[in-house]
Amino acid sequence: MWAYLNNLAVLITINAILAVTLNFVLGYAGIFSMAHAVFFGVGAYTATLVAMKLGAGFLLSTAAGMSVAAVISLALALPALRVRGEYFVAASLGLQMLAVTVFSEWKVVTGGIGGIGNIPPARFPGFEISSPLQYLLLCLACLSLVMLAIAVLVRSSFGRSLKAIRDDETAASAFGKNVAVIKTLAVAVSSALAAVAGSLYAFYLSFVNVESFTLDTSVYLMAMVIIGGTATLLGPLVGTILILLLPAALSYLPGLPQTEIGSIQQIIYGLAMVLLMIFRPGGLWGFRDQPKGGR
Amino acid sequence: MSEGGAILLAATGLSKTFGGLKAVDDVSFALREGIVTALVGPNGAGKTTLFNLITGHLDPDAGDVTWLGKSIKGVPNWKIAQAGIGRTFQDLKLFDQMTVLENTLTVTERGAWLWQTGGKAAQAERLARSEHALDSVGLADRRNTRALDLAYAERKFLSVARILASGARLWLLDEPASGLDPGSYERFVDLVRGQLKHGITICIIEHNLDIVKGISDRIAFLDQGRLLAEGDPASILSDPALAAIYFGERA
Repeated sequence: MWAYLNNLAVLITINAILAVTLNFVLGYAGIFSMAHAVFFGVGAYTATLVAMKLGAGFLLSTAAGMSVAAVISLALALPALRVRGEYFVAASLGLQMLAVTVFSEWKVVTGGIGGIGNIPPARFPGFEISSPLQYLLLCLACLSLVMLAIAVLVRSSFGRSLKAIRDDETAASAFGKNVAVIKTLAVAVSSALAAVAGSLYAFYLSFVNVESFTLDTSVYLMAMVIIGGTATLLGPLVGTILILLLPAALSYLPGLPQTEIGSIQQIIYGLAMVLLMIFRPGGLWGFRDQPKGGR
Repeated sequence: MSEGGAILLAATGLSKTFGGLKAVDDVSFALREGIVTALVGPNGAGKTTLFNLITGHLDPDAGDVTWLGKSIKGVPNWKIAQAGIGRTFQDLKLFDQMTVLENTLTVTERGAWLWQTGGKAAQAERLARSEHALDSVGLADRRNTRALDLAYAERKFLSVARILASGARLWLLDEPASGLDPGSYERFVDLVRGQLKHGITICIIEHNLDIVKGISDRIAFLDQGRLLAEGDPASILSDPALAAIYFGERA
């Protein structure tokens, strides 16, 4: 039971990193990216390759993953962010499809559909992660650092610029904001931080393959952010916990045939999204983190 | 009322066509330093399009715009803003989900990178400028309110506070007083005229001729994309031909 809970907590933490980093662009900058799983995958594959080919530890592998994810995000953002809204959705969707093909077909690098196994455990100078609890603590530490970085950024001048662009791009540029550069930077930061989750995931499972980085993952991440509450620090965390605990909770409900749990889960997700959009469009946490009104 | 100082901004032969409609047709005019110039004319005269051409939100089909003697044609709108030309919008375009203070603070932060240059001193100066702007328009006690939650007149004044905080040297105000009650009119006129002594130059689009009379030093009259007349308020506003066009009584 303990191992199960520890595993669930690690997966929640890794997904929470992805959700809070997606929220950074979606909630604060109004950029709807359908390719967040790509940067999760790039982080995972890069960290894996750096660890296996160069014998690097967790920190160097993760840094490499972050760098490659940031550079690839620039390739998407530089052309796509010069145009508005729906064009970026289309461009990111295209990148997602392209990346899945590359992940599954570039066998020399990614191992193809079969993926890459036997990834060594996460190592630090003079220390190796050897127990699931230690790994959970590492994941929690990474989540805390990522959330701290995002909290600092959204409260900074850069965060204000993002929110201004989200609220009115025309006005933001009319007041001297270089919208294309600001949005590109936001996507690069978000992608680099998402790669941290990829690295954690690869070292945790000792195995990576394309199935974890498909469009389904990007859609689930978007659901986590929207259900939890966009443009709030804790909303994506709440959304992640809810979405990952739901299948676990359903499996304990008496009378439900185990083979139908997947379908029931889909129905509940769909219903939850529809009801939320009607009754709490700001998400579950969305109404708690707003500026104070009134005099 | 004054004739104004040196020419800050000059438009020469500006034209813009949308489909078959000539929205701005060969317009040449100048904005002189230290005065309020009003752009008046009936709906569809091309006033807002002219603002959009000046600020780089639209590219002209022909003609040129110079700022301090240098052409700004084709320059991105954010660079034109950074050069000192600020504007407001008819539909305000406030940053609705941000607080009142954030609305004014963010327009003082021009750097695109993750941090602003200048350290703590510059940061304190930006905050002071933002708070001064809110003080000037009477919104200091609403600093932590979301812009979306402000009353209509407060939103109008926030749009003025935002351009004040931005440090723009030329203000292009697009119907900033429309919908204001008479008490707010007076505050607005005092606020705008009060900026002149701080070296601000203003061009305002306004339909309320009482405000135009009270606020402007010069008037440019547009109709169907063309500049029909330019001069002091008394002569323009007393011209019966222009009045007929303005009130839709043309033959």
